[in-house]
Amino acid sequence: MADITRKVAQRILNSQKKGKTPTKIAPFQLVLLAAAIVLLAAYPFFPFVNNYWIDVGFFVGIYVLLGLSLNIVLGEVGLFDLGHAAFYAIGAYTTGILFTQLHIPIVVLLPISAIVAGGFAYLVTSPIIHLRGDYLCIVTIGIGEIVRITALNNPFGLTKGANGITGIGTPDFGLFSFQTPTHFYYYIWIIVALVIIGLLNLQKSRVGRAWNFIREDEIAAEANGIDVRSYKLLAFVLGAALAGIAGNVYASKMMVISPDNFTFMESCLLFCIVLLGGLGSIPGNMLGAAAIVIFPEIFRQFASYKLLFFGAALVVMMIFRPGGIWPRRREGVGFRGLGISGLPKDEDEFLSKIPKESVLISSGSNSSSPVSIESSAEKADGDVVLVTKSVTMQFGGLTAVNNFDLIVRQGKISSLIGPNGAGKTTLFNVITGIYRPTSGKVVFLGKNITGLKPHTIVSKGIARTFQNIRLFPSLTCIENVMSGPHCHAHSGAWSSILRLPGQKREECRILEIATYRLHQVGLWQYRNELAKNLPYGKQRLLEIARALATSPKLLVLDEPSSGLNDKETEELMDSLKSLIAEGFTLLLIEHDMNVVMGISDWVTVMDMGSKIAEGLPSQIYNNPRVIEAYLGKEE
Amino acid sequence: MRMLLEQFLNGLTIGSFYALVAMGYSMVYGVMKLINFAHGDLFALGSYLGYTVLVIGAGWITQVFGIWGGVAVAITAAMIGIGIAGLVVERIAYRPVYKAGRLPIVVSALGMSIFISNGIMAIWSPRFQAYPQNAIPSEILSFGDIRITLVKLVTLLVSLALMAFIYWLVERTLFGAAVRATALDRDTATLMGINFSKIILFVFFVGPALGAMAGVFAGLNYGRIIFNLGWGYGLKAFTATILGGIGNIPGAMIGGLLLGVMESLFEGFVSGAWKSVFVFLVLIIILIVRPTGLIGEKIAEKV
Repeated sequence: MADITRKVAQRILNSQKKGKTPTKIAPFQLVLLAAAIVLLAAYPFFPFVNNYWIDVGFFVGIYVLLGLSLNIVLGEVGLFDLGHAAFYAIGAYTTGILFTQLHIPIVVLLPISAIVAGGFAYLVTSPIIHLRGDYLCIVTIGIGEIVRITALNNPFGLTKGANGITGIGTPDFGLFSFQTPTHFYYYIWIIVALVIIGLLNLQKSRVGRAWNFIREDEIAAEANGIDVRSYKLLAFVLGAALAGIAGNVYASKMMVISPDNFTFMESCLLFCIVLLGGLGSIPGNMLGAAAIVIFPEIFRQFASYKLLFFGAALVVMMIFRPGGIWPRRREGVGFRGLGISGLPKDEDEFLSKIPKESVLISSGSNSSSPVSIESSAEKADGDVVLVTKSVTMQFGGLTAVNNFDLIVRQGKISSLIGPNGAGKTTLFNVITGIYRPTSGKVVFLGKNITGLKPHTIVSKGIARTFQNIRLFPSLTCIENVMSGPHCHAHSGAWSSILRLPGQKREECRILEIATYRLHQVGLWQYRNELAKNLPYGKQRLLEIARALATSPKLLVLDEPSSGLNDKETEELMDSLKSLIAEGFTLLLIEHDMNVVMGISDWVTVMDMGSKIAEGLPSQIYNNPRVIEAYLGKEE
Repeated sequence: MRMLLEQFLNGLTIGSFYALVAMGYSMVYGVMKLINFAHGDLFALGSYLGYTVLVIGAGWITQVFGIWGGVAVAITAAMIGIGIAGLVVERIAYRPVYKAGRLPIVVSALGMSIFISNGIMAIWSPRFQAYPQNAIPSEILSFGDIRITLVKLVTLLVSLALMAFIYWLVERTLFGAAVRATALDRDTATLMGINFSKIILFVFFVGPALGAMAGVFAGLNYGRIIFNLGWGYGLKAFTATILGGIGNIPGAMIGGLLLGVMESLFEGFVSGAWKSVFVFLVLIIILIVRPTGLIGEKIAEKV
């Protein structure tokens, strides 16, 4: 496999060098980008722009930065954060207090503010990060209020209460210090530009994708090897650090900060910026921030009515453009950010030759590359791959799985069957770590994996699909499959922001594996289609491709044939058999007896949480207890 | 001991405001899965409506119906007016956005909230407005050495009675069962023949009307009101909703009363300036221990 993917990559890169498929960037977008940059750079010199309007430009910059910082949490990861002003406040107060008390230069305080705000975010969010939706929302509101009230109450005389801290200095680089509005204008916009470059890199990296996976479907993300908790925390810490930087710049510009600058209303405004612009969209974010700052300025002569208009405008905006001004579009593969632009014209033909050699995957070639795709064939612990030892799972008084022993053998298709409500899916959830069993053990390749988190279990080699498909609906097919190799890759936030060479290589390999698997299930032509737009049958295949892309040793499929028509079921059976030929081990839950009897090597029957039979398909077919469980006892 | 009891009573009073407002949040959330951020401002608007009725009608309403009659008229007018306002808000700000997902509707709700509070400011001025003294009953009762204004006692009793009534309506009647069924699963409920628009009508009328009542009571108890008082009460009431477990009515009542009492006791015995910090800390701790609130049931997501 490693050889093949290398070939693919080589092919892709070669074609790139030869310029076979020149990358297409819409000229319109380039012109727009250039115009925006020129406009922003020249803005202070426009004839009608006085100091007042330069300051307005500065505040747009501050709100862009704040919007971007919240966008990481809310837009990329989908976490309701209605207390983001807290982190902004922490940054501003860190600067204010340390400058007035210890006279540390403002420039030095910039990174310190970021670190303090990020550290604060880590401390306060780590106990509550598991909360969902509205519960997280109220807790963030609470954090925002706690910070504001604390500042108001002047603890240890540090925050100076309601009047706030005055006499904060300006940034000073020795020879040059910032004084005029123009200086500050360029200062903030240079920071914004750097942040945008970093965030664009992040969006197109393993980290940014992991955030999006979590936003789309948390459980599916965890079950595909994404460490949900850590990535959520990372988003909060990064977002808070950026807000801390904004706080530092704001404090040095205004020279005075007070709790009034960091109210719940402020958090709401930031929330509105992100949604007005469009979730996860950087240009949208800039437009949203501009709207929020400039709109009240335009209506300044109406003084007390300006917020009235603003409130009405938010409602109208959401009615007519609920997706925001500039919603983020998912780019397809071949986009430049991955270091691979465009695929050869004859790519389909090229890829279609791969399956013949695909047996190579099971050769367990141990490549030294960070993404290891050796899999399957490892014969640990004789030929038993997975054992559950008297697993019991209780929900309240209900015993869903009772003292269950299951054995899955290397290179075989094992099926778990049973009437509806027998506890099959619950057992799968125990095996894949979504539930922790009440008692009993799950042993995989001779190692006890009971109670490990789902993403850890995936990285150990068990991948799964879901009974009612759980894809990442508004991501493209290739992005869906790119979640698979995630758990074997290592690039973190920093290497992604800076696009270090190792990170680029890793991205390349992730794309190769995803490409291969997507092609394997026959969905390559849909690579840039959003997953939710695929028909049902193809969604099932996509889910299997996504699971395969984790390079599992054991593939656990929950009713793969449900909802498929006869022809699709045929095809599915063929491809499952070919997976065995590739060296995978399969465990199925299945209702379709044709599938079960047709391809299983071993069948285990479950009823009311207990095992009632196991054996070869033919033995099960005639087993009176099984017939009784399915059809009821003959009178 | 006297102080403890008085603070406890104060806490119950303010808690009953929270509870009344929280019930509105909870009803709307239960049925629409929407945090109605405009709810706190509807509460404030109710307070202003009641104020206006009392100011305009202080002369004749009070003469015709007596001082308590005036109060009753003000409360009724505010409840009806705000109930209708609630329906209008649903129609113009929520219904058109409902299908767009969960986030746009939050922004729409925030916009509505800003719109209402600034609308109040535009109409009634940004300054504090004092409820007319001659329209507020001034009797003070004493039990031993505990003194309590009659208004406060009436506030408490009426609020508790209303809560009991709503509890009965939602938990014990067929219509209530329909509301709860809709909250659990809107589609199935509709398929079973429940008229969804009737339920919406109910929650968006009754919820804000309860808030309006709390608003008038708040004005009567504290004497003066300001255009943005909805933020503070709304936030606390929302906290109470989550504390009790969002989407269930008894949870909102208990959450509201508990929050009011905790806040008031902390204020009396520890520190007034830090009371909100204390409240939010308690909330966070409770959510860490019981992520679905005090009464909320744990529902394992089906995988």
